[in-house]
Amino acid sequence: MSEVILIAEKLNKIYQRGEEKVWAIKDVNLEVKKGEFIAVIGPSGSGKTTLLNLLSGFDRPSSGKIIFLDNDITKMKEKELQKIRSKYVGFIFQNFLLFPHLTVYENIILPLFFNKKKVVKEKILKISEKLSLTHRLNHRANQLSGGEMQRVAIARALIIEPLIIFADEPTGNLDSENAYHVFQIFSTLAKENYTVILVTHNWELANKFDVRKIYLKDGKII
Amino acid sequence: MIILVFKNLLRRKIRTFLTILGISIAIFLLFSLFTFNQGYKNSLFKELDLLGIHVLAVPKGCPYEAASLIVHGGVIPKYLKEEDLELVRKIPEIEIATPIFLSQIVEEDRISIILGIDIDSYKEVKKYWKIKGRYFQNDEEDKIIIGSDVAFQEKLDVGDKIYFKKINKIYEVVGILEYTGGQDDGFYFLPLKEAQRIFDKESLITAIGIKLRNLERTEEVIKKLEEIPDLQIVTMTQVLGTILNLIGQANSLIYTVIILALLISSLGVINTMLISVYERRREIGLLKIIGAKNAHIIIMIFLETLIIVFTGSLLGTFFTVSGNKLIESFIKKIIIHSPKKIEFIFDWKLMGIIFLYALMISILASSYPILKAINLRPIEIIRSSDE
Repeated sequence: MSEVILIAEKLNKIYQRGEEKVWAIKDVNLEVKKGEFIAVIGPSGSGKTTLLNLLSGFDRPSSGKIIFLDNDITKMKEKELQKIRSKYVGFIFQNFLLFPHLTVYENIILPLFFNKKKVVKEKILKISEKLSLTHRLNHRANQLSGGEMQRVAIARALIIEPLIIFADEPTGNLDSENAYHVFQIFSTLAKENYTVILVTHNWELANKFDVRKIYLKDGKII
Repeated sequence: MIILVFKNLLRRKIRTFLTILGISIAIFLLFSLFTFNQGYKNSLFKELDLLGIHVLAVPKGCPYEAASLIVHGGVIPKYLKEEDLELVRKIPEIEIATPIFLSQIVEEDRISIILGIDIDSYKEVKKYWKIKGRYFQNDEEDKIIIGSDVAFQEKLDVGDKIYFKKINKIYEVVGILEYTGGQDDGFYFLPLKEAQRIFDKESLITAIGIKLRNLERTEEVIKKLEEIPDLQIVTMTQVLGTILNLIGQANSLIYTVIILALLISSLGVINTMLISVYERRREIGLLKIIGAKNAHIIIMIFLETLIIVFTGSLLGTFFTVSGNKLIESFIKKIIIHSPKKIEFIFDWKLMGIIFLYALMISILASSYPILKAINLRPIEIIRSSDE
């Protein structure tokens, strides 16, 4: 049985809009095991991104606990969170968030530099090969297609060998072919024992893969 | 890190270029001002030294202005008598006392500064003079010696004749001074009696140039000289002070311009650094998401600032060095009593101070937005990038 690496207990996130209280996340309980591929699915405004931000420690819950590797990250200071994120967590965003003036290679190795890890060329080549980026390594990020950019973002997340990857609408800016390809990559990564939690509104695509689906509606898991 | 820093700078080529240009202009202005100010003083000292005179006796009135004008070939309306010269020569501590008569011949196309001198005593004062041809004798009333600049401008050589239409007289050039670097290069030298005659000032002199036997006894000699009723005494140090005082007003104007220019360029630099960092908040946030610590971001932006300021300083220094002739002519135009040639002294220490100043301004300018950006939580970056 795989070990549980992330637990959310009675998670709530309330936003105050004027005098009105908005429940973005309501009593969410969740357990994530190592190597799981999870898709958080739901319509716009259902709280998918909020949940992802809470789980990844980017946002603080109004109440509840988030245990990551036996540590309650809701009680951690930003500095400690930053340490955990840079060591164990990979992030992928809808709009790729690459450095357009750097080459693909430089974009990929950047986290290694900040984490004081050695740049092992073989490892970079292996990841690039897996993501069909080898021929693009010396191109600047702004010369790539959307699909390629997202693959670079995935490579950048993988380079630190994260325990868990959070992906916020990673296929949102891609055509159906590239979206399928990216999903396929995540599915493969999960098989390689990476834990992947992604947020998508594309339930049709999610249905095509062996993925644990979590449906969210009005901030609640249904 | 260095590659990242360089790529960041090259990414916004125009902005980087404009920032560097702004800094280089500030450096250029500052460096030029200080360098030329020092060069100006040095040149003035050198020029006074070339006079070979320790003390100048002038008619009572405005002694310092008179002395300044004499140094630079101007005309003053008061005169001393030749008897005063005899009284001066009686003071034993005085090695040489030489009479000087100074005036100008103003014609349609030229202004000629005429210096009437007693060649025997004047030669003793100007021991460093080298002359092509020969000196005139005091009684050679149709002979003239000219400065090197005059010879060059008027295309004159030894043996040539000069005609002054205003006084309807022709002089033969018997000697041309070799380049001295002082005001002598621009003078026409005539025998004292001849100069007095053409300006109808027989037995009158403009000043007495005095060389002392021992400079340590200057004060004692001045006291004795001041006992002569017509005389007012000016030491060359005082002349220097007067000239510096005279240029003080012009200098204040320059300082005001420079301070304004400096302020404007500093504001330009501050503005650029502020905008640059603000625009990069998202980038800074992303760097944090992928593991950059606050120290990484601060070092990165600091290095970028350092490169910009360093390049700007180099460019500013290049502008100063390559444009020094231009600045010299500009300064000579706006400041009266300028030395003939203003020395350009490159001072590394000054350069270092100016560089540090520019660096400090830039770091201060970028500190606030950096601090704001690094204190942002990544979630805010993600939210803003989704907008």
